[in-house]
Amino acid sequence: MVARLRRWVAVILLVAGVADADPMTVHGRVVDPHGKPVRGASISVEGSTRTATTDAQGRYTLAGIEPGSSLVVIADGFGAGLGTAGETSDDIVLDIQATETIEVKGERPPQAQGAAMLDREQLERMPGARNDVMQTLSAMPGVASYPLPLGSSGVVIRGASPQDSKVLIDDFEVPLLYHYLGFRSVVPTDAIDTLEYIPGGFDVAYGRASSGIVSLTTRAGDAKRGQQFETSVGEVGALAQGSFHNGHYMIAARRSAIDLLLPYVLPSDMDLALTTVPRYYDGQFRVDYTLSNKWTLRASSIGSDDAMELYASRDKNADKRFSNRARFVRLTTSAHYHDGPVTAKLAISGIAEDQTFERGLYQHMGVSSPALTMRAEVGRTAKTWLGLQDVAWRAGVETVATHHSLDVAIPRERREGEPPATDDPMDVTQRYTGTVDTSNYAGWTALSAALDERVRFTTGLRVDAYARAGDVAFQPRGELSFKLVPRLTARIAAGAYSRPAEFQTELIDANLRAERSQQLIGGLLYEPADGVRLQGSLYYTKRTNLVTRGMDGTLGNDGRGSSYGGELLGTVQRGPWFGWLAYAYSHSMRVDLPGGMQRLFDYDQPHNLNVAGSYRIGRWQFGARFRLASGLPQTPVVDSLYDSDSNLYYPVYGAVNSERAPMHHQLDIRIDRTSHWGPVKITQFLDVQNVYMNDTVVGYYYGFDYTQRAAFRMLPILPTAGIRGEF
Amino acid sequence: MRWLVLLALAACTQDLDEQWQLRHDRIIAVRTDPPRLAAGGQASLTMLAGYSDAPAVERAPDLAAVVSPKSMSGSVAPFGGAWMVTAPDESALAAARSELGLPDGAPVPLQIGLASAWPHPVASTDEQHFAAVKTVLLGESGDNPPLEGLTINGAPPGDELVVPRTGQVPLYVEANDETQIVNWLTSAGTMHDFDLHAAYLTFEEGDALEGQLVLVLHDELGGVTWRVWPLRAE
Repeated sequence: MVARLRRWVAVILLVAGVADADPMTVHGRVVDPHGKPVRGASISVEGSTRTATTDAQGRYTLAGIEPGSSLVVIADGFGAGLGTAGETSDDIVLDIQATETIEVKGERPPQAQGAAMLDREQLERMPGARNDVMQTLSAMPGVASYPLPLGSSGVVIRGASPQDSKVLIDDFEVPLLYHYLGFRSVVPTDAIDTLEYIPGGFDVAYGRASSGIVSLTTRAGDAKRGQQFETSVGEVGALAQGSFHNGHYMIAARRSAIDLLLPYVLPSDMDLALTTVPRYYDGQFRVDYTLSNKWTLRASSIGSDDAMELYASRDKNADKRFSNRARFVRLTTSAHYHDGPVTAKLAISGIAEDQTFERGLYQHMGVSSPALTMRAEVGRTAKTWLGLQDVAWRAGVETVATHHSLDVAIPRERREGEPPATDDPMDVTQRYTGTVDTSNYAGWTALSAALDERVRFTTGLRVDAYARAGDVAFQPRGELSFKLVPRLTARIAAGAYSRPAEFQTELIDANLRAERSQQLIGGLLYEPADGVRLQGSLYYTKRTNLVTRGMDGTLGNDGRGSSYGGELLGTVQRGPWFGWLAYAYSHSMRVDLPGGMQRLFDYDQPHNLNVAGSYRIGRWQFGARFRLASGLPQTPVVDSLYDSDSNLYYPVYGAVNSERAPMHHQLDIRIDRTSHWGPVKITQFLDVQNVYMNDTVVGYYYGFDYTQRAAFRMLPILPTAGIRGEF
Repeated sequence: MRWLVLLALAACTQDLDEQWQLRHDRIIAVRTDPPRLAAGGQASLTMLAGYSDAPAVERAPDLAAVVSPKSMSGSVAPFGGAWMVTAPDESALAAARSELGLPDGAPVPLQIGLASAWPHPVASTDEQHFAAVKTVLLGESGDNPPLEGLTINGAPPGDELVVPRTGQVPLYVEANDETQIVNWLTSAGTMHDFDLHAAYLTFEEGDALEGQLVLVLHDELGGVTWRVWPLRAE
């Protein structure tokens, strides 16, 4: 019987603070890919006789462990894996794919060629990320590197537009990713378990995105009750976690602090009146409850609330007023079933979202978009089926219903490739008041199996029905994986993808169809040693049905484009070392109207290099990161025209995206120190961006009549310090 | 913390001229006198030009031409070193209304394009030029707006202005900020609320104490009035 049991290799992701030189006690939990506790797993310490066995909740305790020790997990039905002992008592996640035989120890293979996953410890170790999950994302190959957020709700992946990729938290989209000005993400790193980055070729379970996926998983509460408080430049936060009967909880909240300081540090002679100083709140919670040995329940929520109001005049003249408020809360409940080879998941998620914007006497925008999403997914595995081996089948359905209430009076929205319009506070070209209902339905199925010991395939189909436009997208996707030699695997994937035309004012036009893309990705995965991984990828993406503005000013699906490039990603996670090498070459072109000129995408970035390293020694951790990236394309102003009737100057633009901001480079460093004060573990960190104060030009902006141009420069240096207490 | 904020502000602030800064090469305003012409009426076309190294002056454009409607391309012509706008007779106006799809009796918007080479006053060798458009309503008569209730530092201004260099110098003209456009511009001191009917001037360290003050008023019917004063702070 034992021989029948497959042995799976797992990675142990010990989320830890800073290692102490003294032996310590490690608590943790072992779960399968569906979050189900693995009972009876054996945990041993390399070079030691100490062992532990997980209980019914998958939990274990190991005492007298040296920080940085390697742990090995072995369980029937699973395989052995390696991990590193850290100091905190966070979960150990046995993170594997249900039906793949993973011969290379250390980590599960990436979900797709070029994909990567970071756990909380790695997210916090990345220098220059300021303990911010979305800042860490900028180190991924294929993610456009830019000092400012590229749209408040998106990430640019492989040269596409921000709205073409999705960021999911616990499998569901969030409407906003950043607090004001991209200062912070709406979810703190402490409340995250993992960040998974899939730049392309993603699974049929993911949809409504034509480029890439970023998937964040909230942190499950630990069995041991604990609290932590953290403060850094700009914010304060708290997190509590623990367990109750058959369950665990995690709850976290954060508030900006900069609004409390700003009134005291702004120069008194500034011609500015802040009536609501920019401030934000965010909060998260997650509760996991084990109903039986087959059923687990989960509820999680994330919310955010940003507000600001100012007058660009000390006299508070109404025409100089600017106010903005953006808030949302998403609540998700899910039931997970796991009985041998059968798994199932049912999830319901609702979101309430509200955004208001007012500027001066004329311009305003009010958008409310409550939505309800229901998703069901089932899976079945089999050792053999029709001559195939290690077979896994999945199928799922999803519905998303959204009711948008819009009250808009704003200038014409800037689309991809369009230069910014002349700033006219009276311009309300884009007017709409009414409601828009959208209903999207999706179904998918996928089969994954091994043909022999070296070849494995995955084939699937996703169908998205965008009911408002009567548009149905059939999206076949598949991947072939060849194990060339024991530690070298070749993968090739192809698939079709779509994004509904629901971005900003696209909502107003019911006839717009979804944008489409076809992706072809190939590459090699080499794992020369445990904890060391090297991926090289090539990709080509063809984009059609791109939503563009026609000569008459209306939107249509007339655009097309393509992207190609290569990426290299090397990671090292061994003992006290964490290393990161990411380089991406990319070229993205598009044509907005048939017969029109081909031009660069707004976010085309040919070169992007990130090299980072972090080393832990005793109570200290030292890290550094070097970045080098091409500047983004710009459309220059070549002339201007004075309109006497409106008393405004209008720019005359040159060829779209025909010049580029200079290449920028910077070095970031990070130092962490851990100590104890009674029962409280204290972690202090200092993160400094651009330590050699490189003068980086991010882009250009023009004076009121476009006869003068100046460079928009990045901050010469940006230090962030913080302290966290855990007990 | 304060140095960090100042650092951030410094990073975003460049040497771009403020819109109220008079020492800047540009067309500040364009005026026809009168701005609305009955059939057969005539108006002169003038612009107020600003220079980075010289006082602002009123001058005629180097070139002017009708942009729209095409049927009235002969309505703008040079005359004695200036440019004149001539409203055609009623039959030509009726044809223009038909061309533009306007109802009978509606004023016909005559859009004029004009250009000037820089620097002042003749065409430059580097081909640098400035261009503008101006709409004149034909078929009805009207005047440029008057500058009413005008006060500088609390008193009606004379031909030259002498203001205190300390404190705020209030500038006031009667105007509706929601329907009219007011611009106060200066080459001396620092202007505050330059685009409101009630603005004020201060003299900060490093500011020029001598220069010009300009007031430009646009009404909702295309009327434009400006006034230029020599200014000195004592």
